Amino acid sequence: MRVVDRIKGSVAYRSIFRLPDAVTERDRAAAHWSSFLLHLYPVKVRRRELRFGYSAFLGVASMVLFGSLIISGIYLMFFYVPSPANAYGNIQSIQTDVAFGQYIRNVHRWSAHLMVIAVAAHMAKVFYRGAYKPPKEFNWVIGVVLLVLTLLMSFTGYLLPWDQLAFWAVTVGTSMASYVPLMGETTKEILLGGPSVGSATLVRFYVLHVAVLPAIMVFLIALHMWRWRKDAMLTVDAAERSIAAEPVIEEVS
Amino acid sequence: MDDKEPVVIDNHRVLGVVPGKPAVGDRKVLSEDDTVMVWPHLLVRHAVAALLVLLLVMVISLLFDAPLREIANPTNTPNPEKAPWYFAALQELLAHFHPLVAGVLVPGAIIGGLIALPYIDRNLSLSPETRRVARVTFTVFLVVWIGLTLVGFAFRGPNWSWVWPWNEWHGEL
Ligand code: HEM
Ligand code: HEM
Repeated sequence: MRVVDRIKGSVAYRSIFRLPDAVTERDRAAAHWSSFLLHLYPVKVRRRELRFGYSAFLGVASMVLFGSLIISGIYLMFFYVPSPANAYGNIQSIQTDVAFGQYIRNVHRWSAHLMVIAVAAHMAKVFYRGAYKPPKEFNWVIGVVLLVLTLLMSFTGYLLPWDQLAFWAVTVGTSMASYVPLMGETTKEILLGGPSVGSATLVRFYVLHVAVLPAIMVFLIALHMWRWRKDAMLTVDAAERSIAAEPVIEEVS
Repeated sequence: MDDKEPVVIDNHRVLGVVPGKPAVGDRKVLSEDDTVMVWPHLLVRHAVAALLVLLLVMVISLLFDAPLREIANPTNTPNPEKAPWYFAALQELLAHFHPLVAGVLVPGAIIGGLIALPYIDRNLSLSPETRRVARVTFTVFLVVWIGLTLVGFAFRGPNWSWVWPWNEWHGEL
C-alpha cells in the first residue's frame, strides 16, 4: 500500500488526477466529476437502476459492441483497400495471411449483427419502462437517430467484402431508393455514385463506413449518455410530479 | 437550560444532539428511490455486463467464421436475391406492395413515428396498467415486424417463393 500512496502523492500523479483524497462522499463525487470518462455517468442513481430488470444493461451492451467494432474495424483498415480490384483479395488475405485476421474479421462481423439486435432491444426496453417520457423525450429522439445510424453502418459495411452476398444485398437495398418520389433516380445515383453498384459505390460506402458515420455516432452517443446523466435523478413516476417538465436541477454536489 | 446530571454513555458525556442522518450505522430500510453512488455500485455492474458481452462476441467469433462468397459478379444474379436480415421485413413488404409503399412510405412512417412517439404519448404515468394503449400498439408493431423479418430471412427461397427453412435454407448473415 505504501507504494500506491507514494504514487498518489507524487507531483506527476496529482497533475494528472486533480482529486481530493477520497474521505467523504463529497470528495468521491468531486473525483467523479473531474474524470473525463466518468463525467458521462451520473454521480448517483436511484437504487432501482441497479437491478438487471431496469435496463437489462442493453444500452451498455450497445456501447460495448460499438467499441468492439471500432477496435476491430481499425485493425481491418490496415489491410483493406476499397477498390473492386483489391477488396475481395484483401479480405481473403486477411483470412489467411494476417495475424488474427480471421478472428478479427469474425469479431467485426458478429459484433455488427449483435449491435443491431442490442440497439433494437435497448429501444424496446426503454419503451416498456416508459423512459421516453418527460423530460427524456429528446434523448429518445437521439436514440432513434442512433438506431438509423447503426443500420446504415451495418449496411455500408456489408458491401465492403465485395463478394456476391455484399454486391447483391446492396443492389436490392439501394434499388428501393429509386422509388423516392420525384428524385428517385437522383437519390440512387448519389448513393451509388453511378447507375449501378461499382467502384464509386465502394469508395463512398467505405468513407461513410470508416469516417463520416462513426464520427457522427461517437458524438451522438456522448450526447445521449450526457443527457442520460442529466436526467438520472428524475426517474420517478412523472405523474407524481405536478408539472411535467420542471427545470432540471442536478441533485448532486 | 436546567442544570441536569450530564448524560453519560460509555464513559462519554453527550454534549448535544444534531438533526440529520447519523454518520454511521444508518439502519433505515432503503427504498428503490434512494440513491447510491454510481462508483462502485452501478459501474461494477456495467463492467460485468461489458465483460459478458465481450465474452459472447469472443465465443461466437471462435466458433463461427464470417461468410465470404465468390467475388462480386454483376452478370450473375443469385436467386433469391437477399437483403441483409435487418432489412428482410422491408424486402418481404416489397413482395406485397408497390415499392413506393414498401421502400419509402413504410420505413419513413416507422422512423417518423418513433421520433414522434414521446410527443404523441403525453401520458405521464409509468405504471403498465395506465399505459395499455401505448403498450399494445408498440407490441403489435414489434410482433409484426419480427414476424416479417423471420419470414423474409428464413422462409423465402428462389423467386421469393415460400420455403420451409428445415427443408431448404436461404438465410444469409
Ligand atoms: C456501428 C459500427 C459498425 C458496424 C455496425 C460495422 C459493420 C460492418 C460490417 C457488417 C462489415 C462487413 C464485415 C465482413 O464481411 O467482414 C464491416 C466491414 C468493415 N468495417 Fe465496419 N462496422 C462498424 C464500425 C466500423 C469502424 C468504426 C471501422 C473503422 C474504424 C470499420 C471498418 C471496417 C472495415 C475496414 C471493413 C472491411 C473489412 C471486412 O469486410 O472485413 N467498421 N463493418
Ligand atoms: C448506438 C446506439 C445506442 C447506444 C450506444 C445507447 C446507449 C445508452 C446508454 C449507455 C444508456 C444509459 C444506460 C442504460 O439505460 O442502459 C442509454 C439510455 C437511454 N437510451 Fe440509449 N443507446 C442507443 C440507442 C438508443 C435507441 C435506439 C433509443 C430509443 C429509440 C434509446 C433511448 C434511450 C433513452 C430514452 C435512454 C434514457 C433511459 C433513462 O434515462 O432511463 N437509445 N442509452
